[in-house]
Amino acid sequence: MGPVAKTEVEAQLVDAGVHPLVRQANDLREYMKEPYKSMPFPGPERFYYPHPIGEHHPDAKPAQGLPGSDPDLLERQLFEANGVDFAVLLPLTRGLLPDAELGNAVAAATNEWLADTWLSKYNQHGRYRGTIRVNPMTPDQAAREIEKWAGHPYFVQVAVPMQSHHPYGQRQYHPIWEAAARHNLPVAIHADGGSSVDFWPTPAGYLTHFIEYSTFYPINFAFHLVSFMAEGVFDRFEQFKVVFADGAHDMLAPIVWRMDKDWRPTRHEMPWMKHMPNHYLKDHVLFLAHKLEGPSDPAIMAEWLAINEAGNTLLFASNYPQWDFNVPKGAFVDVPADMRRRIVLENARELYKLPATRSA
Amino acid sequence: MARHVVCRVEELPPGSRRIVPIGRRGIGIFNVNGTYHALHNVCPHAGAPLCLGRVTGTTVATAPYQVEWVQEGEILRCPWHGWEFEIASGETITEPVERVQTYSIFVEDGQVIIEA
Repeated sequence: MGPVAKTEVEAQLVDAGVHPLVRQANDLREYMKEPYKSMPFPGPERFYYPHPIGEHHPDAKPAQGLPGSDPDLLERQLFEANGVDFAVLLPLTRGLLPDAELGNAVAAATNEWLADTWLSKYNQHGRYRGTIRVNPMTPDQAAREIEKWAGHPYFVQVAVPMQSHHPYGQRQYHPIWEAAARHNLPVAIHADGGSSVDFWPTPAGYLTHFIEYSTFYPINFAFHLVSFMAEGVFDRFEQFKVVFADGAHDMLAPIVWRMDKDWRPTRHEMPWMKHMPNHYLKDHVLFLAHKLEGPSDPAIMAEWLAINEAGNTLLFASNYPQWDFNVPKGAFVDVPADMRRRIVLENARELYKLPATRSA
Repeated sequence: MARHVVCRVEELPPGSRRIVPIGRRGIGIFNVNGTYHALHNVCPHAGAPLCLGRVTGTTVATAPYQVEWVQEGEILRCPWHGWEFEIASGETITEPVERVQTYSIFVEDGQVIIEA
């Protein structure tokens, strides 16, 4: 008897934000070369603003290894229990380490590890996609890392940390966006760790408690967004797309309304920005949805999403295995079916070029 | 529509302007490099006295971070919010295009005449 033909199932749900981990912190060293292999660097738990009841969801802890390290458990919880068809894996690194070369080594090892495990050995079913981590502290090296992995069939995007030493639109970062755009790879921006050489997390200095940090940190997207626009990154790299992966989509509209009104008076300072700010959103800017955002009253959720054009810009993400795990099968059930379909399936399929079906 | 004599051509040399009291808000007359233009003194954005704004040039970027100064004397910047209008067309140089009302203007027997 020959091999059984695989049947295909139509995809209904894409989880655009899953954060896998190595089984144990030091496993990453297997993919590193000396001298970095033997150098200390921070582990996967947050250092500043640790979550008071634990970084990870208690159900996501496997019998052995760190949460998010066990593909069998992940698949039971995401694929089987929640109907996720494709998962986009976005491994977190440790932010901006003071030694940029060590940061490069950590990013490179993360990519080697992901390619060696989740995107090959664990990916017989072809349902995982991955993210190329790069260190923005050395933009030329970041561009080389993108070139290295751009042809890989399962890497679908690039990621850099939300925390930055300069706004990401500034010209020293352009080699990264140029390389990503050339390969049609979106760039995800996600807060990383919190154990690195960040500046103050807010323009008002250091906040005191976890909740203050977690409420405001995602809003940092706005600094990078206005910078991308005013430095002409979207004009210069027409294929460039950014995914703000910590959420905060709810804050986008008022910021852009304001920026729109300032554009005609101040355009002459940045003549390379050829269009009104809102013009760039549809082709260049997306957000991952986050469990903790959106109106508390489900009755106004549908209207809220329509005002914010979520049908074009929002992608569902569970954030597995974090404590704020957004249960996929319960997501956006209170909105009209066509809007839900855009958010939980079609926006991700278009952005990451996912097939319409996956293996059964 | 009526003809209005604005002034003699010698009184409105290149680079000069005059607001004439026609209608409630007036009409701004500009001489841009020897050609006359007439614009309603009301900005389409928020109703500012547009024709009192600065006559200037503007910037273009020929490449990222390569800025050139162009159209000197051809641009009118609204005094309230800085919107840039091309005097000759009455149109914003930014999109979506907004337009200030313009009027037919010509020279006859050494006089500047508008129809408004």
